[in-house]
This record gives sequence, structure tokens and C-alpha cells, in this order.
Amino acid sequence: MKTKTKWLLFIVAVVILLIWTLITVIPLYWMFIGSFQDTKLSATFRPKMIPELWSIAPYERFFEKTAAIRWLLNSLFVSSVLTVTNVFFASLAGYAFAKLKFPGNKTVFWVLLGTMMIPAQVTLIPLYILVINVFNLGDTYTAIILPGVVSVGNIFLMKQYMSSLPTSLIHAARIDACSEFGIFWKIILPMAKPGLAVLAIFTFVTSWNDFFWPFLVTSSTEMRTIQVGLASFVFAEATDFGALMAGATVAALPMMVLFFSLQRYFLQGITIGAVKG
Amino acid sequence: MARVEFRNVRKQFDDEKKGIFTAVEGSNFVINDREFVVFVGPSGCGKTTSLRMIAGLEKQTSGDIIIGDRIVNDLHPKDRDIAMVFQDYALYPHMTIRENLSFGLRNLKKPKTYIEEKVREAAAVLGLEEMLDRKPRELSGGQRQRVAVGRAIVRDPQVFLFDEPLSNLDAKLRVQMRVELADLHKRLGATIVYVTHDQVEAMTLGERIVVMNQGVIQQIASPAELYANPQNMFVAGFIGSPPMNFIDARVLGNSVFVEGTEFALQDTIADGLRAYQGREVILGIRPEHIFGEDVVSSVSGNYRLTKQIKAVEHLGSENLIYFPIGNRTVTAKVHPETVAYPGLSKTFVLDFSKVHFFDPETQQRIEY
Ligand SMILES: Nc1ncnc2c1ncn2[C@@H]1O[C@H](COP(=O)(O)OP(=O)(O)O)[C@@H](O)[C@H]1O
Ligand SMILES: [Mg+2]
Repeated sequence: MKTKTKWLLFIVAVVILLIWTLITVIPLYWMFIGSFQDTKLSATFRPKMIPELWSIAPYERFFEKTAAIRWLLNSLFVSSVLTVTNVFFASLAGYAFAKLKFPGNKTVFWVLLGTMMIPAQVTLIPLYILVINVFNLGDTYTAIILPGVVSVGNIFLMKQYMSSLPTSLIHAARIDACSEFGIFWKIILPMAKPGLAVLAIFTFVTSWNDFFWPFLVTSSTEMRTIQVGLASFVFAEATDFGALMAGATVAALPMMVLFFSLQRYFLQGITIGAVKG
Repeated sequence: MARVEFRNVRKQFDDEKKGIFTAVEGSNFVINDREFVVFVGPSGCGKTTSLRMIAGLEKQTSGDIIIGDRIVNDLHPKDRDIAMVFQDYALYPHMTIRENLSFGLRNLKKPKTYIEEKVREAAAVLGLEEMLDRKPRELSGGQRQRVAVGRAIVRDPQVFLFDEPLSNLDAKLRVQMRVELADLHKRLGATIVYVTHDQVEAMTLGERIVVMNQGVIQQIASPAELYANPQNMFVAGFIGSPPMNFIDARVLGNSVFVEGTEFALQDTIADGLRAYQGREVILGIRPEHIFGEDVVSSVSGNYRLTKQIKAVEHLGSENLIYFPIGNRTVTAKVHPETVAYPGLSKTFVLDFSKVHFFDPETQQRIEY
């Protein structure tokens, strides 16, 4: 009896997971397959689940008609810079909040956390005015990067992570005549490597996929990131289904490669907040 | 030259849950140059906090700390000429043993040859030569412990601070390391402040012991003195295993009465208890000073008490006998040939030359 219900539950779970997987995978599959089917039919066109012809013509058209290489490089540059700054500043701040005593430590931390409660839409316009009108940074890398140099969410994540590192090591290093920055650089960072890796990957993926902010602050074709460029291509060439799919594949592929090669860290990332500090 | 002194040192924490909380109350002591002093007391009594204040890892709320002939209140840990061994060893996990040992000296910008020499020396003393290129995680608990000690030794400090360094080792290794640490103290000729909650460790290692409870120093004395003349019931109960028995007694004339049994007192003791005439006192007697009548004959007189045995534990070299007096259970540590089994009505002999009397209110020992 008991094993029977267990089996039943197991089968139900598997079926649900299968359906879920299909729902997730089919659009990706479709995108991938579609990118190799050279047809210039309109959006009414329905790609076949099993393609009859394989052609790289859609890719050729995509790269011909757009500045895709430049966009990819832009995305790579912006995401890399944001990854480095986030890892550096979030771990620095997280360490300070977790392990250092200074007046207002708790207060500042709670105020920062409080800002997470404010929806991004609320700050969007003031931020836009600040970056474009006040600092006059429109259509520059600085404009894309500056607001994301470090996020409160990442500081919070790092604070949790740093709290779990033993304080006695910091004490030992202090007695060992290590400078305060040396303690962070030579002791804390090497120990926090797994946490930093997770942070880096998540930041990179988020920045790579970000659309709205780069879209707002860039205007020239050369300054677009791949996501913004792709969107503009969609507006311009709504009918060239194959090329659209090729573009989407190009934009998504780096993230997929990253995901599959670093799966382990993604899984860690899901639990990292749960591991109590 | 490296004495360590506390002058009215207090430490308060502003704790989230407990509010303002005093971890160390006006603490005063002098640790002499080259002395091995042990801080002992139950968990949470302020031992680690005291040690950290010597190290400069915590700043005292008030009072002065003196190391050598300097007031070190505002000195950074690296400038206090101390080294510390941590309870969890605190080895840098991503560095090799060699790097762990040399980290402090490298930060102090010592010449390379000097550092190599120091590391080699410490490794030789501690038997770590083979492990210098390994990482801490590849070492056993005992080896890690040695590395932690080694990291302190290479610094050549005036004062060594140990925070429960043996508490993570198994019993056998602990005894071995205890002997090695005592030996090391002789060789290094440095001042050692050693923290433990284990009174056996304190008694075997300490030249002098500072007994602490709830942030207050209870007594500072040599192990023998602590054992023979505890200042108060806390020290009496904490030092010695099994702990001292406390028995309710009443002073009448030149005798004390325990549950109606009269014990005549020597004149000096009776004089000392004069102020307690007609009042309750607490009689303290160690388990090893209670004998079975059948095995001992040297203690004569009327210091006898017949009681029904509640339980017996055979430890091989001795037996522990438990029997009730009033609503307390008394322990006797007796010769293994003493006849004893639960239910037996047995006459015990108490060695009254070794008993202490305590004031039930102040818990202080009554002096005579
Ligand atoms: N950083 C701190 N903040 C608040 N309370 C503390 C802190 N460090 C220690 N305490 C408290 O001070 C008391 C003494 O602690 P400690 O010195 O570590 O005791 P132990 O004798 O066990 O080493 C304990 O009650 C502990 O909870
Ligand atoms: Mg402690």
C-alpha cells in the first residue's frame, strides 16, 4: 500500500516535470531549428518541428544586416566590467558588514536593504535624468555600466556568505601583522572563492541579458548591446523569421555555454543564500 | 621582562539579545615573566574575552592592560609582542604549512633567510618537517594543532596566548600534547597565558591558576593552594574531581551537628566558628577525604557516620560510593578493597583535618 502510493507520487512528479521541461525547452528548440531554416516567409510561417533543410543563410543575413559583432563585443565588455566591479565591491562591502565593527554598521546595512524594497521602476526616471541630463553621459559605456557597478542584492549575498567564514582567521591574521586590506585580499577573498564564482556568474548572466537600461541610455547603433541590437533588428526585419531566430540564438548561446560548463556553481548559487551565516 | 598585568579591566558588550552585558568585571592580576598561568572557569565566564583583550583583538571598556612595562591599551595586536593559538587553530586554509608558519614574519618584512631559518627551527621542534608543503586540510587534528603552535613560535613573542588549544583533540592526544606544551614552556622561557574550561588541564599545566566565574575572578593561586585552600564554594566545587561535597551543618558549642550526629571540633576550628554559634554553616569535604571504616584506621575519634549506600562505581584504582545526607548526595572516593554495594548500611570515616566551612550566604570560606 505504502509503496504503491509512493510509486504513484513518483510517476505524477515525473509527468509534471516532463511537461514543465517541454514547455521550457520547446521555444528554445524552435528558435534553434528556425535559425537554420532559410525561408523568407512572413511571421505567419510555422517552422516544422523536424527541419527539412539546414542552411546557415539566416546567420549570414543577420551578421550582414546588423552590427552584431560590435554588439556582442559591447555586451562582453559591459558584462565583464560589471562582473569585476560587482564581485570586488560587493565582497568588500559584504565583508565589512559581516565582520568589521564600525559605528552605524547595522543601520547602514538596514538602510541599504530597505532600498531593495523600492521597485526599480520608481528609480528609473530619476536615474535616467541623472545619467543623461545631469552627467551628460548619453550613449556611452559609462552610462550603461555606472548604475550597476554594485547591487545591494549582491552585497547582501556576500554579507551572508562572509558571515559564515570563521572570525578567528581574521584575528590570527591581525596578530600576524597583516594590514586590514591585506586580510581582505590575502585571507578572505581566497577563502570566499566559491561564493565569488557564484556571484560572478550570476552577475555576468544578468548583465548580458539586461535589456531595458542599455536600451534607454544608448542611441547609436554602435553602442547597442546584443539584446538591444536584437530588439532593433526585430522592429526592422519583422518578416525575416530565419534571421531573427539566428540573432536570438547568437544572443542566447554564450549564456547556455556558460550555464552548462558551470552548472555546479549555479546549483550552489541557489543554495548559497540558504546556507546560514 | 614580559609580565602581563590587568588593572581594573572591565569589558562590556552591547549584545542584541542580552542588552548591555558585562563579560569581565573589574579584573586585577599580575602574570610574572616566564610564568605559565591558566585561566579556568565554566563556559561563558569571560576567559576568551580576557585573552583577546591581552591580544588587543577586543578593546576593554575601562581599565589598563600592561605587557612588559608598556601600557598597551591603544596598541594594535601586531605591536604587543604576543602570539596566539586559537581553539579552532585558525590556519589559513589556502596556504601551505610553510606559508602558514611564515605569514607573520613575511608581513613584518623579515629577511628571507631569517624566515626560512625560523620556519625550519619551529618545524623541527614540532616534528612538522615532512608536512611543510601540504595544505592544512591534508593534516590530522593533532598535526594542525602543532602548526598552530608553530605559527606562534616562529614569531618569538614575549607572551604566548593559548585559547583552549587542546579541546578539539581526542583524550589520548590531549594528554600527550599537554606534556609537550609543558615541555615547550620550559624550552621557550616565555610567558604563557592559557585558557581552558578543563580543571585537570589547568591543574597539570598551570604554575598559577586564575579561577573565573561569570566574569569575576574567584581566586588566583597555585594548583596545590587552590586544592587545599579554596577561597569560596565555587572554587571548592570547580577544582577537584569528583567535586567537593557540601553538607549542611549547624554549629553548637565546640561541635558541629550533621543530621543530629555530633562532631567535636579541634579548638582552633571551634574558635574560628565562634561567630556562627547556633547557625547553619556549610561543611565542605572532598570525596578522597571520606573513607570506609573497614579500610582505614588512622583517622580515629568520633568522625564517623553510618549511612545506607545508594550506588557504587568501580573505577579500578578506586571506587566511588554515593550516599545521602539530608537531601544532598555525598560522594566518597575510597580504596577499591572497601566493601560496598547498594543498600549496605556502612560506616564512613571523615578526615576532619581536611574539611572546610563556608558561610551559606556569602559562600566564602570561613577562615581560622
Ligand atoms: N562579541 C561579543 N558580543 C556579545 N557578547 C559576547 C561577545 N563575545 C563574548 N560575549 C559574551 O561574553 C561572555 C564571555 O564570553 P567568553 O569570554 O567567550 O567566555 P569563555 O569563558 O567561554 O571563553 C559570554 O556570555 C559571551 O556570550
Ligand atoms: Mg572561550
